Amino acid sequence: MAVSQRALEAAGLGGGRGRLERLRQWREQEHVFGYGLILPALVLLTCLVAYPFGMAIYFSLSDYWVGSPGQFVGLTNYREILGNDVFRQTVQNSFVFTGFALTLKTLLGVWLAVLLARDVRFKRVLRGAVLLPWVIPTALSTLGWWWMFDSLYSVVNWTAIRLGLISAPGPNWLGQTNYAMAAVIIVNVWRGLPFFAITVLAGLMSIPREFYEAAEVDGASSRQRFWHVTLPLLKPVLAVVILFSTIFTFSDFNIVQILTRGGPVNTTHLFATLAYQIGLQGGNLGQGAAISLFLFPMLAMVVFLQLRYIRRD
Amino acid sequence: MKRATRRQFLETSAIASVGMGSWLALGKPPAYAQKRELTFLSWNHFVPASDDELRKQAEAFSKQAGVSVRVDTIAHLQLMAKFAAEAQSQSGHDMIRTHDAIPFLFESQLADVGDVVDKLGKQHGGWYPFAAEANQTKSGWRAVPWFWISFPATYNMAHFKKAGLETPKTWAELLSHGRTLKKQGNPVGIAISHCGDANTTAWSVLWSYGAKVIEADGKTPAINSDKTAQVIEWWKELFRDAMEPEVLSWDDASNNRFILSGKGSWIHNPISPYNAALKEKMPIADDINHHTSPAGPAGIHSAVPILGLGVWKFSKNIDVAKEFIQFLFRKENYDAWIGASNAFNHPPLRHFADHPIWARNPKFAMLPKEAEYAHPRGWPAKPSDAAQRIDEAFVLPDMTAKAVNGMPTKRAMDWAQDQVARAIKGQLKVG
Amino acid sequence: MASAASVRARRLRAALTYANLTPFVFFALFPFYFMFVTSFKRNAELYNLKAVPFWIQTGAITDHYDFLFRRTEFLIWMKNSLIVSVIAMSISLVIAILAGYSLARLRYRGVGSFGTAVFITYLVPPTLLFLPLSQVVNWLGLSDSIWALVVTYPTFLVPFSTWLLMGYFRTVPREVEECALVDGASRLQTLLRIVLPMAVPGVVCAALFGFTLCWNEFIYALTFVSQSGNKTAVVGVTADLIRGDIYYWGSLMAGAVLASVPIVVIYVWFLDYYVSGLTAGAVKG
Repeated sequence: MAVSQRALEAAGLGGGRGRLERLRQWREQEHVFGYGLILPALVLLTCLVAYPFGMAIYFSLSDYWVGSPGQFVGLTNYREILGNDVFRQTVQNSFVFTGFALTLKTLLGVWLAVLLARDVRFKRVLRGAVLLPWVIPTALSTLGWWWMFDSLYSVVNWTAIRLGLISAPGPNWLGQTNYAMAAVIIVNVWRGLPFFAITVLAGLMSIPREFYEAAEVDGASSRQRFWHVTLPLLKPVLAVVILFSTIFTFSDFNIVQILTRGGPVNTTHLFATLAYQIGLQGGNLGQGAAISLFLFPMLAMVVFLQLRYIRRD
Repeated sequence: MKRATRRQFLETSAIASVGMGSWLALGKPPAYAQKRELTFLSWNHFVPASDDELRKQAEAFSKQAGVSVRVDTIAHLQLMAKFAAEAQSQSGHDMIRTHDAIPFLFESQLADVGDVVDKLGKQHGGWYPFAAEANQTKSGWRAVPWFWISFPATYNMAHFKKAGLETPKTWAELLSHGRTLKKQGNPVGIAISHCGDANTTAWSVLWSYGAKVIEADGKTPAINSDKTAQVIEWWKELFRDAMEPEVLSWDDASNNRFILSGKGSWIHNPISPYNAALKEKMPIADDINHHTSPAGPAGIHSAVPILGLGVWKFSKNIDVAKEFIQFLFRKENYDAWIGASNAFNHPPLRHFADHPIWARNPKFAMLPKEAEYAHPRGWPAKPSDAAQRIDEAFVLPDMTAKAVNGMPTKRAMDWAQDQVARAIKGQLKVG
Repeated sequence: MASAASVRARRLRAALTYANLTPFVFFALFPFYFMFVTSFKRNAELYNLKAVPFWIQTGAITDHYDFLFRRTEFLIWMKNSLIVSVIAMSISLVIAILAGYSLARLRYRGVGSFGTAVFITYLVPPTLLFLPLSQVVNWLGLSDSIWALVVTYPTFLVPFSTWLLMGYFRTVPREVEECALVDGASRLQTLLRIVLPMAVPGVVCAALFGFTLCWNEFIYALTFVSQSGNKTAVVGVTADLIRGDIYYWGSLMAGAVLASVPIVVIYVWFLDYYVSGLTAGAVKG
């Protein structure tokens, strides 16, 4: 240390110690430290998200084919898509899919969280069991569901027929428009419910006991307590969960791609699967990118509204 | 107490990550090519033994040529994503297994293989025209035809016998037979859904009735016609009287399960279910047989899948790849490979069609003849990437599905016409 | 007397809770049970329409697992998944801890817009990014190696983790930090020795979440890696066991079951951390 210091001084590089000290002071400034800490994240996201994203936007504005750069064509791709009734169908599908799935997940999720919050035996096991669908790779678990919805070997229909609930052969889950939509929604709910339930459960547990005790003293019934104490306090958590779930659900890809590939007759296509079909399978990268990009402003809008709501609270 | 456990946790995880780091450091570093290697991206063959044989031959070649050969196989539905990523990043495998209109879609990305095609054609009696067309773009040969897959009818002899029926010669006969068979509890099954088989049959039936999707000029949509209307009416009746609604949700494997379950009486499919039944020693193998794809008023036509071997332009091993392709086409190798696939792989070269396997099993005897009926998709237009888009968007099965679900035939055709027009309009310009 | 009644009331309540929970648990677990059972069935039984699908009638077999271990590189896929997930998660965590602290606690110009920018990146769908990204991966010289995944996975982990940790750091009382600073600790020391230990549940939660996302990722793993020996478990199982028109249902299900095990074990282990981590992070975010 001493040697190097002297060496530095000899080299005319100024007082080593003072220099180090100055560096330290510079580093300790709030804004320097702040920028320093956020720098890695920004570098990563700029290189690996912003740059490819910019490229994707360029694709969407050009006559771009897989592997062969095209010319700038302005908004042609967007016009082309808007004129295609498969795309219009997809927009409708996406809203139906997200709407139903999100509503179900919210209602069932809150209900499940309330149940899980109760002090019963096997609490840990129950929580773990309910969490499973969330943690297991969708690409794999959806295959299981596919087998369960198989037109010939569907265990769902088999059971329902044996129980006398429906007559043979039962609904063709992935082949009839409404059933197919129901099937992809069911799988999405199955997969997303745990995230709702566990997060809301976390929210429930952070509500101080005193609130309930106060309500009890006031003679509120358990239902009243739920509506007037629990729910209002859960609002911020719910808003956050719904925010994330909207993103996941709207941009879902795996479930539809594996179960129906957009069929029957495109009635289960979502943005991601249609973009995949047109952009990759069909080779029209420009249009594929444009379809994916339609997703973006919609999500951004949802996020904007919800974030504003969260901040206001 | 709580704090202690937290600290412990941090320490343990720190140790764990250091440990993980050193394990990784000892592990394999990013692979920089140490030795010359030829890489080939192919599909998971529907008859797995065929891939085993391919790998065996790759190894033999690698010993002989002193270049290691790696064959990667993945599920067929995932291939396109890989192709796109490799073309985009100009890196990846040297060779790919192409299908349908891939040589056209990647025309500017695939190397010319005309020399290999010429040489092999001269050696082995010439290429079948349909196989050749599917790989020859305006700017040259973008892939060597590798094999094609016959698309005959697969039926259950026991069910036909019980109903006292002969095999159907025409699509119309299939409908009348199907009515009887469905009443007997053994419906026929053709997918009308988002899967490859649905496309294949849809093209075949349209052609058999003299309908076409694109005019011969390759620029004019032609699906809106009286002949198509006739076909749609046929589909409606077949769907209502001879099939079950489940065909609307089928994937490529569903019709195989349908016939293997013993329920189905007739499907339009390659011979893979029979081969699977043999391999699994299922008793139903004895009942299953094949017959020639049915005819329509305009004769028999078949949209057989045609597969090829392409070499990326960016590859540094183009010459080795060409050698490897020729190696695969040596008579003894190609014969062994047909044998391994148990008659599934059909040769695009005339002289290879005399393989004993078709003569040996009477159930396969008619298969090579299917070549006479085959066309690449898009026919009578020259194949192009437009046909690929029509297939990938499932325009033909969707038109049928709309009609069988109650949409008036005319409207279903209008819809399809619009989609075909879009597919053509989006055509790739090369040059 | 009164206590007996209250015991009965409590029991009734518990019974009601269980009764209400049963459908949920059944719904959550049945698919796994079904996959599990399928993975032990003989093919002949699997394709027998008359068989009862719920259990195994003609004897359980382990052939499908045999196939998985002997004929595929399943163990290597699992190892790859583990390596990729652990490293990508760790890198992301470090980046996210720094960024999260910076965004939550420090005041400087642009902090708000940085926060929004980090969050917005979370909205860009991977199906849009993977093609341009494949080019970037190639420039980095990482094509066809698991390092391509290690580099790209943080793109979707960092935004979420940062956001979660921001919420968590806000719950740490400012006074604690200020005390440390007054005592002469540097800012970095304060972060590492004082703030971070108090945020452990949040860090664990972010780690779990990140690990899960990595383990489940599909599209990047499919397109950036081709050699069978470099595949992750999810891609390996789906890419190698789906064979066109003959699915290997038995081994497919066996693969799905086994590939899920590690992640289940981890969750069972850290469940409480996960819940309490979400409490602070999500609730106060």
